[in-house]
Amino acid sequence: MIENDFPARLQWQPDPVQLDASVAEAKKRLLESIKRSVYVYRVDCGGCNGCEIEIFSTITAVFDAERFGIKVVPSPRHADVLLYTGAMTRAMREPALRAYHAAPDPKIVMSYGACGCTGGIFHDNYCVWGGTDPILPVDVYVPGCPPSPPATIYGFAVTLGLLDQKLHASHHVAPAGEQAPVAFPLIPYKVRTAFEREARLMSGYYYGKQIVDEFMMALMKDRSDALAAADRLIEGEADLRKKAVYMDLKALLLSKVVQE
Amino acid sequence: MFELFKEIRKAGDATIGYPFQPLEMPAGFRGKPEHKERLCIACGACAIACPANAITMDLDDEQEYITWDISYGRCIFCGRCQEVCPLYAIVLTTEFELAVRDKADLRESCAYPVARCSCCGKPYAAAKEVDYARRVLESVGGPAAADADAVSLCLACRRRDDALAFQRQARVASEEGGAR
Repeated sequence: MIENDFPARLQWQPDPVQLDASVAEAKKRLLESIKRSVYVYRVDCGGCNGCEIEIFSTITAVFDAERFGIKVVPSPRHADVLLYTGAMTRAMREPALRAYHAAPDPKIVMSYGACGCTGGIFHDNYCVWGGTDPILPVDVYVPGCPPSPPATIYGFAVTLGLLDQKLHASHHVAPAGEQAPVAFPLIPYKVRTAFEREARLMSGYYYGKQIVDEFMMALMKDRSDALAAADRLIEGEADLRKKAVYMDLKALLLSKVVQE
Repeated sequence: MFELFKEIRKAGDATIGYPFQPLEMPAGFRGKPEHKERLCIACGACAIACPANAITMDLDDEQEYITWDISYGRCIFCGRCQEVCPLYAIVLTTEFELAVRDKADLRESCAYPVARCSCCGKPYAAAKEVDYARRVLESVGGPAAADADAVSLCLACRRRDDALAFQRQARVASEEGGAR
């Protein structure tokens, strides 16, 4: 956790909406067995609209959330489910509360996206109070940045009790004296770092690593003749851009072989 | 009219079967980051790289364990952790079913024993990381392997040792210069 050094008692703390006992009971009964369509009202509390785009692709023909009776409505007064997207910003707290109070009880609140769950990448912004949960009682959290349409459908399935949640809190304690294996032990460490550096220079983060991993796996497979293995890899590659990176790495390998 | 129905039948169903059928995500889909506790050396590279601070590392109050912690609720699935990991201990999978009812279920953590400096006794790194660094230095050989014992010192002690060694060297050099 990134801790705020400023004492908490001197900061304004949002007070979350407390549920009435009778409303909580009704909500529990509703969550246990929803025998009707659910109408969803979407509240954007200060997101980047990435989540909205994914919500709208969820209700298109390919993913078709309406086959479960999930319908996006234009007013919170028609809504059963309130879908809060975006980090809870100072300016949008009041409208978010108004939308919450406008919806008829019992209502279900979903936090959508990384920002809705915890504040996401904006969690330490000066005008952001984390996700939806410091303000409202949240029932289901749907993480993702943004959640893909299948992840959204899964979120609704968890809400409606169609599917069980898969993720559970876990804490693992590593035993003392455990040893981590060095990756690619057959390739000298310095050669490996040179390969990785070159591949990242050529094709950037994430893909650079994937390409260099494929290259090193090919070298590891043929222990007798590494150059022939690299040649075979270059031969078999159809993507010209990838081929160029492989050829570059092979040139690097050749220079290392001559040196050592 | 009949022709139209035939045409529709031929076109098939565009809607996917999920959630009633499992959905195969395409390769390269950036889903849940999978942490392999056994491979991780708790070096903290992912915690530094993580733009959203979803991955954090904390020393506990007794200073015996350093805890690696991820919040899937804050993760933006960018893959920077996979990119910087030297040991392939964190890999983005195609798992996308992450929705939970309880926020606590979004957290996953792993505690690693810390190593203490052999000189001043302060905790300075995870024991696994120190062990890994020693083995790598030994495999590299040459002057790096000669320094492999210095991994059991914390940064402050190593700096002091280096400064003292440099001072000694300078003194010897100046004495030799004076004798000449």
